[in-house]
Amino acid sequence: MTSSASSALGSQAAARLRPAAPALLLLVLLVVASLLSGGVSGLELASPDRSRVDQLRGAIADLPDHPLVLIAFDADLGTYPEIRAATRAAIDDLAAHGAQLAIVSFTPEGRAIAAAERERIARAGTEQVPADLGFVAGAEAGLVRSVASVVPASASGPVIDAIRQGGGGIGAFDMVLIVSGSDLSARSWVEQVGTRLPKLPMVTIAPTFLDPELEPYLRSGQLTALVATLREGVAFAEAVEAASGRSSGSIIGSLPMLAGMLAALGVLAEAASRRFSRRGPRRFSGRAAS
Amino acid sequence: MRRTILAGIVLVTGLLILVDLLLVNPSLTDAAGAVNELLVLLAAAAAVGGGATLVAHHVRVIGAGDGDSTGSIVLLAGMGAILVAGLRPGASGSSDPIVLWLVAALLAPIAASLFALLFIFLLGAVRRGFVLRARETSLMAGAAAVVIVLLLPVGGQAGDWLAASAGWVRDVPLAGVFRGLLIGTGILVAVSAARSMLALDRDDE
Repeated sequence: MTSSASSALGSQAAARLRPAAPALLLLVLLVVASLLSGGVSGLELASPDRSRVDQLRGAIADLPDHPLVLIAFDADLGTYPEIRAATRAAIDDLAAHGAQLAIVSFTPEGRAIAAAERERIARAGTEQVPADLGFVAGAEAGLVRSVASVVPASASGPVIDAIRQGGGGIGAFDMVLIVSGSDLSARSWVEQVGTRLPKLPMVTIAPTFLDPELEPYLRSGQLTALVATLREGVAFAEAVEAASGRSSGSIIGSLPMLAGMLAALGVLAEAASRRFSRRGPRRFSGRAAS
Repeated sequence: MRRTILAGIVLVTGLLILVDLLLVNPSLTDAAGAVNELLVLLAAAAAVGGGATLVAHHVRVIGAGDGDSTGSIVLLAGMGAILVAGLRPGASGSSDPIVLWLVAALLAPIAASLFALLFIFLLGAVRRGFVLRARETSLMAGAAAVVIVLLLPVGGQAGDWLAASAGWVRDVPLAGVFRGLLIGTGILVAVSAARSMLALDRDDE
């Protein structure tokens, strides 16, 4: 192959890569920011307001000895990364308080995430793997059915026995931790379970978009605690880590977050300025460009 | 006549569930529980029907040779793998270790990766949006830029101020609009449920 032919191939490859170059650059930027995240001062991702953190930690601390806690895992794959750190920290905190944990899901996506989290806990081998109550079909009707019976007939184990001794339904638990994000969120729990079991404490970890929906339930006391933004989640995870001295390894670094946000702002500003300068302020309209 | 029967069923089941919530009575609880079991069965049947329709659609796509045949083959192969793993003799359904492995090691990471790409796709969509619908995109991008600035992970006094402002935006304007929508939707649902239960829509017959 001659040098002119190879240089032509090289320029063709470069031309093919050019449209993807901004995305690749962004990925490289995020990777570098993730690697450097440890040693940056002046950045703070955790929320400075710790009231929500104290609420959730207080609810866990107020549980009786060896409580039965149900983790209702109905997160959404798209928003779960936002609440992953807080969820793992809450499971760690519950385990540290000697809670007997069981996991159930009422949505297929929640079941997928719950299965992955159970696998992670089993692989880590540092704490007891939560009992698996599986997937309950029927969405809200399944939730209502679980008030009376949530244990699959084939399930066995000490936690399962303890649930059966308590009646076999959701009422057997001392608390429910609802990992929200999908259609079946803490709102469904308040509506369907809270009305039937009004004394059951319910706490929830939810992505930011659910906060306006769940806030009234927190203020009315129907939810005992609510951690519902990334910053609150990070603050909660940091508080649990500080108390236990053990890292859950899932707290998001503030530098990659800042890099991503600045990149997003840069793209928005560039796109707006390009459009504005091309059309001019007087012709700025919603119609498609001719 | 058909609508009258339907309205009657809705009225009886709706009232049964409502009365069961208000009164403690074992017979009522059993009856409401039976209705709920039927609902669960209906939901399961709808899910199976949806899955079967999806399979039929993609088999048709492959047969006709149009559309994304490769995507259809991958989808059917994925469905087949999960079904075989969960329904083979001796399997324990959705709790079977092979199903759990497929979900935890393949499905969850693949889905998470796809959602992670949303960040890049969204920025690309905003850029295209400025070309197609400049005014609407400007509004959306402006609001997004404000929210991003408020959520910047900055420490110190500036960080506290940004966090407090973000909290105010979430708790006051955003929550106000959202609650208004929720209350409005709730009233509409209650009115339409009451109309169905009281058979007030019979004029449509």
